[in-house]
Amino acid sequence: MITIKNVTKEYAGKTAVKNLDLVVPDGKIFGFLGPNGAGKSTTIKMITGILPIDEGTITVNGYDIASQSIEAKKLFGYVPDSPDIFLRLKGIEYLNFIGDIFDIPKDIRKEKIENLTKSFGIYEALDNHIQTYSHGMRQKIVVSGVLLHDPDVWILDEPLSGLDPKSSYTLKEMMREHAAKGNTVFFSTHVLEVVEQLCDEVAIINKGKLQFRGNMKEMKEQFEADETLEKVFLELTSNE
Amino acid sequence: MNKTFRLIRTMLKMQYSLAGKSSGEKIGYVLLAIFLIPFSGIIISVLNSIVETLYDQLAPSGNENALLGLLFVGMTIVLLFVSLSSVLSSFYFAEDIEGFIPYPFHPYQLLAGKAAAPFINLYVTSGVLMVPILTLYGIHSGAGFIYYIYALLLFLIFPVIPFTMMAILLMFFMRFANIAKNKDRTKVFAGLLTFVFIIGFNVIIRLNQNPEQTAEGAAQLIQQQNGLLNIITGMIPTAYFSTMALQNAKALNGLFFLLLLLALSVGTIFLFLTAGQKLYFKGVLGLTAGSTKKFNSGKVSKKIKTQPVFLALLLKELRIIFRTPTFFMQIVVQSLFGPVFLVVILVFESSSGSIGALGSMLEQFDGKAPLLLLFILTLFILGVNPASYSSISRDGRSWPANLYLPVPAKTVIFSKVMTAWLINLLSIILLAAVGLAVIQMPPALFIAWIILTFLASWFTSLVGTSLDLNDPKLNWTDEQEVFKSRFISLIALLIEMGTFGFIVLLLWNIDSLQSLWMTSLLLALLLTIAIGISHVALRKLIGTKFLKTR
Ligand SMILES: Nc1ncnc2c1ncn2[C@@H]1O[C@H](COP(=O)(O)OP(=O)(O)OP(=O)(O)O)[C@@H](O)[C@H]1O
Ligand SMILES: [Mg+2]
Repeated sequence: MITIKNVTKEYAGKTAVKNLDLVVPDGKIFGFLGPNGAGKSTTIKMITGILPIDEGTITVNGYDIASQSIEAKKLFGYVPDSPDIFLRLKGIEYLNFIGDIFDIPKDIRKEKIENLTKSFGIYEALDNHIQTYSHGMRQKIVVSGVLLHDPDVWILDEPLSGLDPKSSYTLKEMMREHAAKGNTVFFSTHVLEVVEQLCDEVAIINKGKLQFRGNMKEMKEQFEADETLEKVFLELTSNE
Repeated sequence: MNKTFRLIRTMLKMQYSLAGKSSGEKIGYVLLAIFLIPFSGIIISVLNSIVETLYDQLAPSGNENALLGLLFVGMTIVLLFVSLSSVLSSFYFAEDIEGFIPYPFHPYQLLAGKAAAPFINLYVTSGVLMVPILTLYGIHSGAGFIYYIYALLLFLIFPVIPFTMMAILLMFFMRFANIAKNKDRTKVFAGLLTFVFIIGFNVIIRLNQNPEQTAEGAAQLIQQQNGLLNIITGMIPTAYFSTMALQNAKALNGLFFLLLLLALSVGTIFLFLTAGQKLYFKGVLGLTAGSTKKFNSGKVSKKIKTQPVFLALLLKELRIIFRTPTFFMQIVVQSLFGPVFLVVILVFESSSGSIGALGSMLEQFDGKAPLLLLFILTLFILGVNPASYSSISRDGRSWPANLYLPVPAKTVIFSKVMTAWLINLLSIILLAAVGLAVIQMPPALFIAWIILTFLASWFTSLVGTSLDLNDPKLNWTDEQEVFKSRFISLIALLIEMGTFGFIVLLLWNIDSLQSLWMTSLLLALLLTIAIGISHVALRKLIGTKFLKTR
């Protein structure tokens, strides 16, 4: 469970997120929507401890990300919006690195690395530098890293944007399974079809402010029933 | 032409822009400038006395121009080295080139843009070395107005030929390096090869100046005008032309040599652009690709090993340094540069017999003097190593991983300090080998020196990492930016050399302190205190900066 309480973030005078209150419950796939520049990545970076929080608090399964950061960080896995990290490492070295950091025993590590990378189709590229990977492959290696340490809470910033249909399907299945086990899955996206297929609950943010929070049914109910999700989204995020 | 200038401006802006620099760094520049004024005063007065002495000795036989010849030969070699590293990094290691390729530029236009940054390096180098010496020479020879005009023109023209020659050579090497499979490695290798090539070139020049022969010949040569100049500049005609231009500034003769050099320079620029048009794209495009090997099953279990977190972080740092061509050149090769240079010089001098005596000379001293000298020299070599002050900045866009992974901040930072210390170890080993094998250092001195060096290395690693953590440059698009237009190296050196330079000076002058052991004990104690202070400072910085850095 992620609890965001009255969180505000400014970049050099410009407010990116304003008085945000949001609870991401367990056992559900939670979609975080909003137009470009709405503050999605900013929020996610605050949850993960990358950005300091100006005002308010965020806890992950009860651990405060600011004051109990190590405990909190052990609980979640994060897929950043740009997967271009550790480019000079080989895929296998990256996964080993993650394995060492999360203290994963050798036999589990081996089995998981094989299964995950095979199902994403990057097994054969494991001995190559991440620099030689395509955008989607880089995303897959980062996702594999997260799944390797099997955290309770998944935080994914546009995880599906570069994936091919098959891998996208695989990841969505994994997200469903994970939530079904009672864990937290929190992800941001622009793609409305994904939201429609996948999400149990959504939050819509625009210009740093929360516009809507509820399940899909509520979202549609709030508007005329025959409207497409696209229209709802456009209406919710239109500039007043 | 207009477009080419635009391109040059854009490329330079990306590397040298002050925008986005914190006010702290800007204040740093000002402080640095103030610090440098008295420093440069000292250097100029030293140069002045050297020029004066040499001039007065050579002038009676009409050989004073040998001084200019020496300057231009020396400059050629220095400029070749500077060109090598800056052309390599600007033309081949900087991967920003891919961003420009999709636009309709001719290779020669991109080449001109790419040449801008190296040229700035060259002019800074020759500004520091050539301008003061030429001016001093002018003063001592009572030269007229035209001399200074010529000197200025030479300052502008002279770097062109070393640059173009080196660039053409490199483009030629790289053209073939690009065929290789593991491109990152080959890229570095081609660079090293050229490095060896220049050292070889120097060796040839030095061998041709067989000391005995020179001494014999000099007596005769010195009797004829220009005799000395001819042997000094024998291998490098441009140095000869430049000297002659200045020497005969008043006569038509001088203008002839100046124009000759100008024509040659224009010619080589032309050659450079033509060669570039043919070779550059073939050398650089696709050069960023790494090797690709297939991973067959079963292999994975061999590659999986568990390590403690600290070791995992340390290995990650080392892998990144050794695999990234720019980091490898700037950090590993550069840190070996000083020691290797020392070796080359020492080995040469020792073949003439003067160094073999150095060991026994040191033995006679046996007090604190050799230790203090060695210590300050080593501190300097360790201090200029960028491994420490690029600690944080190297991470670039991967830095946020340090923030979201559950690793304590101090583990991350100290793995970086340790990395810098390990890289320093390379130069220490090399220096130690020289100390034992070539100089034949007395064992007591050697032991004292090596213990102090290990401590000093930890100290410089801490200072550099702290400075980088205080104001890192993470938003780079190219690794070059980690090292360029950041005065952090000088600040680190100022702190390290400032404190210990003062301490060494103090110890040197305390007459009651003479024994080697007392001096080393005292130095070790002071180093430990300095390390303690830096530890506290770094921990404070981790507390305040770590989470705010991104
Ligand atoms: N490093 C930064 N410095 C200054 N402003 C920033 C920075 N990062 C983001 N912003 C600003 O904060 C606001 C929110 O950005 P954010 O990246 O959170 O948007 P987003 O919802 O993730 O958008 P996208 O859908 O494009 O990923 C934007 O207005 C952006 O301009
Ligand atoms: Mg975003």
